[in-house]
Amino acid sequence: MTAIPGVDAPPARPAPPSPSDAARRRRRWRHLPQYAAISPFFVLFAVFGLYPVLYSLYLALQRWDGVGPKKFVGLENFRYLLTDGQFWDSIGNTLLIWVMSTVPMTVLALLIALGLNSSIRFKGALRIAYFMPNVTSIVAMSLVFGSIFSGEFGILNWFLGLFGLGHVPWLADPWAIRSAIAIMIVWRWTGYNAIIFLTGLQALPTDVYEAARIDGAGPVQTFFRITLPLLRPVLLFSLVMSAIGGLQTFTESQVLLGDRGGPGAAGMTMVLYFYGTAFADNDFGYGAAIAWGIFVVVVLFAILNWRLVQRPDRGQVTTEEGGR
Amino acid sequence: MVSASEGSSMTLTRRRLLTGAAALGTTALGASACSSPATANPGRLTLWYTYNGLSEHVLKEAGKRFAADRFVTSQVSGDLTQRLLAALAGRAYLPDITMIGDNISRYFADSDRFVDLNRLGARKLADRYLPWKWQAGASPDGFQLGFPIDVGPAALYYRHDIFEGAGFPSEPDDVAAAVPTWEKYFAFGERLRKKLPGRYLITDTKTVFTYSMAQEPKKYFDPHNHYLDDQSHVRLAWDRSVEAFHRRLTAGYAGSQSVNGQSVDRHAAWNTGRELSLVNASWITGEIKQSAPRTAGKWRVCAPPGGPGNQGGSFLAITSACPHPEAAFEIVSWLQDPANQTWDYLDIGLFPSSPAAFTDKRLTAPDPFFGGQSTVEVFASIAKRVRYAYFSPWDITISDTYTDELTNVELGGKDPERAWHDARTRIERLLRRQGVLS
Repeated sequence: MTAIPGVDAPPARPAPPSPSDAARRRRRWRHLPQYAAISPFFVLFAVFGLYPVLYSLYLALQRWDGVGPKKFVGLENFRYLLTDGQFWDSIGNTLLIWVMSTVPMTVLALLIALGLNSSIRFKGALRIAYFMPNVTSIVAMSLVFGSIFSGEFGILNWFLGLFGLGHVPWLADPWAIRSAIAIMIVWRWTGYNAIIFLTGLQALPTDVYEAARIDGAGPVQTFFRITLPLLRPVLLFSLVMSAIGGLQTFTESQVLLGDRGGPGAAGMTMVLYFYGTAFADNDFGYGAAIAWGIFVVVVLFAILNWRLVQRPDRGQVTTEEGGR
Repeated sequence: MVSASEGSSMTLTRRRLLTGAAALGTTALGASACSSPATANPGRLTLWYTYNGLSEHVLKEAGKRFAADRFVTSQVSGDLTQRLLAALAGRAYLPDITMIGDNISRYFADSDRFVDLNRLGARKLADRYLPWKWQAGASPDGFQLGFPIDVGPAALYYRHDIFEGAGFPSEPDDVAAAVPTWEKYFAFGERLRKKLPGRYLITDTKTVFTYSMAQEPKKYFDPHNHYLDDQSHVRLAWDRSVEAFHRRLTAGYAGSQSVNGQSVDRHAAWNTGRELSLVNASWITGEIKQSAPRTAGKWRVCAPPGGPGNQGGSFLAITSACPHPEAAFEIVSWLQDPANQTWDYLDIGLFPSSPAAFTDKRLTAPDPFFGGQSTVEVFASIAKRVRYAYFSPWDITISDTYTDELTNVELGGKDPERAWHDARTRIERLLRRQGVLS
């Protein structure tokens, strides 16, 4: 009762005889400091989070060029959105680029993590080296990649030419464009994921490996039967993170190809389409509608992710048992 | 007992602290919420301009000259339009004077947010400037919103040395006489390419379309924002672009871009001499000089095929939030008087909108990069012959949609008829959504 000063134990309850008004008021105000203490987050969230969200919903029902009066158009923007080929294409592009970047990135990161886990020397230096791309300015990076992917005079095409592999129009062909963006994402995030995987690997129990070795399992078998299943939670985490990043793919595309997604709009991602509509064409009402379209796609994705994370509970006995 | 009292006194101070913090926070919020100033620097006259939008030399002079008006300049990093729109929408932190780009018409419907420069005596200065440029700064009902800064007369840039080496006309007047029309220019290009395979006279279909449209006296809308029924001139520019591609005259770089949207491939093509000529507005001169310094002395400019046209150019405007519009107008008209426009050209390559500046000795001096040619004379004679064309708020989006589809034809092998149809459909759908078409 006296252990926590200030938080007097269940006070009012054993005092049924009507308390005075002043006492009641005092009680109401007593928790004010605590509320005040946690209020900064809520105030900031209300101003910079909640209000813009609600306002964008309001904007999505308007036609507005940014200066003049807003004109209420009801659900017109959303009806247009549903039949907007560019928007559907941008969803497709985003998902394609996400798959094209996540699969090689995960495999590469896993290989690097395994390598780092077994080698002993320079571990710290290597970790920093692998993390560097992640903290490099993305705009500077896009400029470098721009020169690499340049169709006529790029380094990559020159390099491919050395092997007689011909000339890839990196920034003209739709698939080459998506590959170029995916390569940039892979370059940026592989190191980050490798570090996460490495942490996961180091937390794995050694006794399971010992048991496997005694049972005569080879390294490949150990990897697929033990390491991968045990790493599952970490892999899922990285998948969720890459989905969050992948659905928001924007800068790589914008800096490499401009606001309109390049030839055939093959690099037009959802967020780039939203940005271009709202901030290049200054069509803020429709831009807000696109943002809500993106929100729906993200929600669908979140449900998918949730199902993925929920399901393995049954098959995860190994983790639980092995962990203890 | 003692410890309890200590505890309670501690609680009290903590509580006081928290209450105090909360009170402070509330006051701060309240204070910031109710007193946003209308202009960016109250008590001063603020000018917003973009990087390379105005000569720093002139701005520095202006700072001294108008010190009494407490004139301050603020270079907007990033997109000035976005900053301006945010300030206009919030009716706070507005600049007193602002730069506005060639899509000035988007503000005509909300001209109450700006000052009519005619009210401040701008009309008296009108004859100092190119009439079509002056008119472009005015709404159809005569509200003078923008004061002219620069213009972008389009010329034909070409490699004199290579033309000469191939035995083709190479002096500016001869080249201009040889390619008066796009058709003649294409034929000229075909003949030249037979001699010099692997080289190009045209950057891409986009430049053909853009500069063909720049030469037209009308674009997509009439000055009252009615979508033109007759768009045969657009189709003409489209067909011309496709023809250039079909005759294999375009390089079609799907190049990567530098940070300001310049094509890396194109820069390389200038350096290697693969791009023999280009039709472009005068503002590209700086880019050529900077990215292909070793080609100095080898370039010339002349009148472009298809006639005079303009691409780009900015204005200065005074917002209605400005408490001293007369003083602001003094500054604006001084910044853009012919002598200072000369500085804009010398410092950052902004071509003057005032013909009085065309004859300035420093401008007409021979330019070594162009083999001693006086390029200003070429641009000036083009600028004087440009015809006024109404530039609507939707022109950029429409033009981008057409050129996107042209790129699909050029690089993606799309059927030109389908591309044209797709572009039209997309534009009309967009205009319908924005309530411009019913």
